[in-house]
Amino acid sequence: MTPTALRWIGGSLALAALLAYPYLFGIYFTNVFVTFGIFALYAVSFNLLLGFTGLLSFGHAMFFGAGGYGTALALTHFKSLPLLPALVIGVVAAVALALLLSPLMVRVSGTAFSMLHLAFAQLMYVLALKLRAVTGGEDGIGGFRIPPFRIPGLVNVDMKDPSSFYYFAAAVLGLSVFVLWFVTKTPFGSVMVGLRDNPNRVAYLGFRVPQTKAAVYLLSAGFAGVAGSVYALFQNLVSADALHVLNSFTPVTMTMIGGVGSFFGPILGAAIFGLISELTSRYTERVELVVGLILIIVIMYAPQGFMGLVNAARARARARFAPGGATELAR
Amino acid sequence: MILETRDISHDFDGLRVLSCVNLSVQRGERHAVIGPNGAGKTTLFNVITGTYAPRSGRVFFKDQDVTGAPPQALVRLGMGRSFQITSTFSRLTAFQNVRMGILGRRGIRFNVFRKVDVMREVTEEAEEVLRRINLTAERNLPARLLSYGKHRALEISLAMSTEPELVLLDEPTAGMSRDETRTAVDLIRRLTEGRTVIIVEHDMDVVFSLADRITVLHHGEILATGSPREIKANQAVRDAYLGEVAD
Repeated sequence: MTPTALRWIGGSLALAALLAYPYLFGIYFTNVFVTFGIFALYAVSFNLLLGFTGLLSFGHAMFFGAGGYGTALALTHFKSLPLLPALVIGVVAAVALALLLSPLMVRVSGTAFSMLHLAFAQLMYVLALKLRAVTGGEDGIGGFRIPPFRIPGLVNVDMKDPSSFYYFAAAVLGLSVFVLWFVTKTPFGSVMVGLRDNPNRVAYLGFRVPQTKAAVYLLSAGFAGVAGSVYALFQNLVSADALHVLNSFTPVTMTMIGGVGSFFGPILGAAIFGLISELTSRYTERVELVVGLILIIVIMYAPQGFMGLVNAARARARARFAPGGATELAR
Repeated sequence: MILETRDISHDFDGLRVLSCVNLSVQRGERHAVIGPNGAGKTTLFNVITGTYAPRSGRVFFKDQDVTGAPPQALVRLGMGRSFQITSTFSRLTAFQNVRMGILGRRGIRFNVFRKVDVMREVTEEAEEVLRRINLTAERNLPARLLSYGKHRALEISLAMSTEPELVLLDEPTAGMSRDETRTAVDLIRRLTEGRTVIIVEHDMDVVFSLADRITVLHHGEILATGSPREIKANQAVRDAYLGEVAD
């Protein structure tokens, strides 16, 4: 069987599993899966900065939160706003915030980049707490109308039904992850990786470094906004927790556990993270304690994360089954 | 005249590194800048190529005042450079390194609609460049795992990948063995054919075999400029620099 055929079969099986999931596992695990999907996209958008462009953000939650608040506020204040425009407004809010910060952020890197993000995200957090009239303070904005997914004359699906919401979320999140994956494969994706390795050389090849960084930054923020917006719709609530520093560190942890060096690492990380939370929360409220312990173990024994282990195993298998075959050392 | 500097002066926190440097380079010339360590050679390169603006003085490239223009603007005008400390994309393969240069030259910068792997013309051109610099066998090796000589060849090829009219090479053969140096000089000759080159170099054999004209920098000032023969004969140069290297 050719690799292409295998890929098609694998893809079809995965799609079938995704479609059948709500019927096989019931509402509870359907919702667990939606949560996983949201955080997988969130972590992937984060890793676009860290893994691909070499920028570590300690404040990615502000874009996630902007997406959530944007959508929630739009649905609260516009009475007949349909679902997709509400989602788009969330994304626009995240991109607008990134646009506002970008003139500063594209000119710093390393620790300054990390700490400035921590600072601005904390600022957003405090604003969300204090501007009670707009954000609802600690309680956040909840109970807003969730419009049905409607294409006039074609479909009209009620989003309050968990399995309908599952399909909607899976489509939006899946498409987003696909778009980001595709971008990493394009010339622009190459330039991103170039920025990570050697921004100086990138400039001396005629690329505008700040503008390129800004484009990556907006892209990353926008898709974090998608994740945040879907999260707000899913919970029918967005509160200051979405902007909390813990939520900024969630994608950091997921990416480190899954593997910073690969596109799919953060997704694997989100899955492992979700699994750990799911299992440990049955016994203790101190989920972070267990996650932290695992993070330490991963950093000590598998600095490239679980995806690094997978890749190493694949390289070994390839070396064994292809005698004299070239070992691919590069990612 | 392709490049001219007028009264370039620069200092770092009050420490004078360049004072009133007037350098002019004709189109097609191979111009070597020599001088002892700390003479200001790399600083001069950094000022010319826009790493930073000089404290005073102007830089003219193709009769345009480009003082303080950022690197990418100069690159788009037709300037290129290599670095003393190898500056490639260390985690990318040799092929990906070369391809990055080609994307830069072709101005493929914000394309997010096509996979770079299916851009046939780009791939073919990259393969051709790898052949030219004799790196085909190392195509899929990350740059950081290349041998020193090959890594330097990649560096020079990156500097040349935008097809610059003027290229500045900062100690391209530093730290190389005799054999590696010979290969590198040969490569530089081939890749820079028909272009203007400014080269900083300590190896006098390389300088005298490559350069048409030589400028000697000493304590941030130009001590002498002239043909290799004139420089060899110049007493001030011999006293300050050549004496200790040659002989």
